[in-house]
Amino acid sequence: MKPVDQKEESVYQRVVLKNASPYHYLKVHLVLENETTRLTAVELKQFIITGLKTLHGEVGAALNVDVLKYDDDSLTALLRVSSRGLVKLWSSLTLLGSYQNQACAFRVLQVSRPTLFFNGPVQYSQNYHWGVTEVHPEQETNTCLP
Amino acid sequence: MSFRLLTGRTPAPSRLCGPTLVYVCIGGIMSVFMDLNVLFSPDRNRLRGVIETAAHLGFSTIAINYVFEPSSKKKQEVPVPCPISELIDQLPVVQGRSRPIRVLNRLTVLMSDSSHFRPSAPEYRRFDLLAVHPTTEKLFHAACMLYDTDIICISVTEKLPFIFKRAPINGAVERGVVFEVSYSAAIRDATMRRYTIANAVCLMDSCKGKNVILSSAAEKALELRGPYDITNLGLLFGLSDGDAKEAVSSTCRAVLLHAETRRTASGIVYTSRIQQEALQDSDCRFRLT
Repeated sequence: MKPVDQKEESVYQRVVLKNASPYHYLKVHLVLENETTRLTAVELKQFIITGLKTLHGEVGAALNVDVLKYDDDSLTALLRVSSRGLVKLWSSLTLLGSYQNQACAFRVLQVSRPTLFFNGPVQYSQNYHWGVTEVHPEQETNTCLP
Repeated sequence: MSFRLLTGRTPAPSRLCGPTLVYVCIGGIMSVFMDLNVLFSPDRNRLRGVIETAAHLGFSTIAINYVFEPSSKKKQEVPVPCPISELIDQLPVVQGRSRPIRVLNRLTVLMSDSSHFRPSAPEYRRFDLLAVHPTTEKLFHAACMLYDTDIICISVTEKLPFIFKRAPINGAVERGVVFEVSYSAAIRDATMRRYTIANAVCLMDSCKGKNVILSSAAEKALELRGPYDITNLGLLFGLSDGDAKEAVSSTCRAVLLHAETRRTASGIVYTSRIQQEALQDSDCRFRLT
């Protein structure tokens, strides 16, 4: 799946792995107990970093998570994280339980790049669906503060 | 076209009575996700909300869990399961499938003494699934090797009172009994999170990832998580990719089959033909006597 280049001229062997995109993209929806609460993009990012820090410590909080798109009416966001950090980010989103003393849940709607998790036909439906899409890096628009 | 054999518990020869039932299902098989631990609450609206959220998230089957803690001091009644038709009028349709969600009843017996679990009691027959939550090492050993139960719950709210040994766990795996780890305590509280992860990792070390199911012990709809989220949590607990997905899908199905064989006291063999094109709702069952 990943093409491997090898240089054979020198004594040592160098293996170059070409990866199409080093990032994984996650589309998430935040469900809150009080449905009228709204968050800004900065607050959302702060919330995610706090979640990472609670579960994975400083190493988790140091993960590069970007909020690429955010719709503050429906509380839906498109997150980008490096491939190595996908499991950490996803697990910390799953275990996040409360936001400012109200119960909450992160519903992960889509994850880019097929993994072992998705091995059936892709289903599409109105709201919540487990689908797989290839999100192209050209779609990045840094609308939110880092 | 390939046949995949899904067996329930293989019965001991003395238990086989008369003709054995063989069900053959023909149809496409997609991953069926199940959540076998949804705590019962007397508040009907809350329970209805949980069932609807579970259907929305993609779970095809859930089991309403009645926790029973017998104590030797005063005699307590085993709870009577509420019939599903009373709880909710119309079962919601599962997201992504055309069938309504299936709701089962389950009993969990919190055991601190060996006299607490009486499998021959008629009250236990009303439940589809039977689970045991042992609190001491002796009870854990007995539950793995002897007791007629489907699920053994691993405590997630406290430090493990005993260490898992390979011998009883291997015995349980051979019998078809599964170990259950609940994750909603981890969502509620940070200390519980540590205990959940510690106990789960300890279990996975001993059982090598076989016969494990992950379920929520959800009291509210917001404590439920989607099936792929739980698969990811399984990776955190030390399961491999395939094992983590099985923990939410095929191992749960094996538990249901085990429960059916336990109740009817004979073996059930399911064979299913996997076809490329999905035949919608054309399950064809015939019975061989």
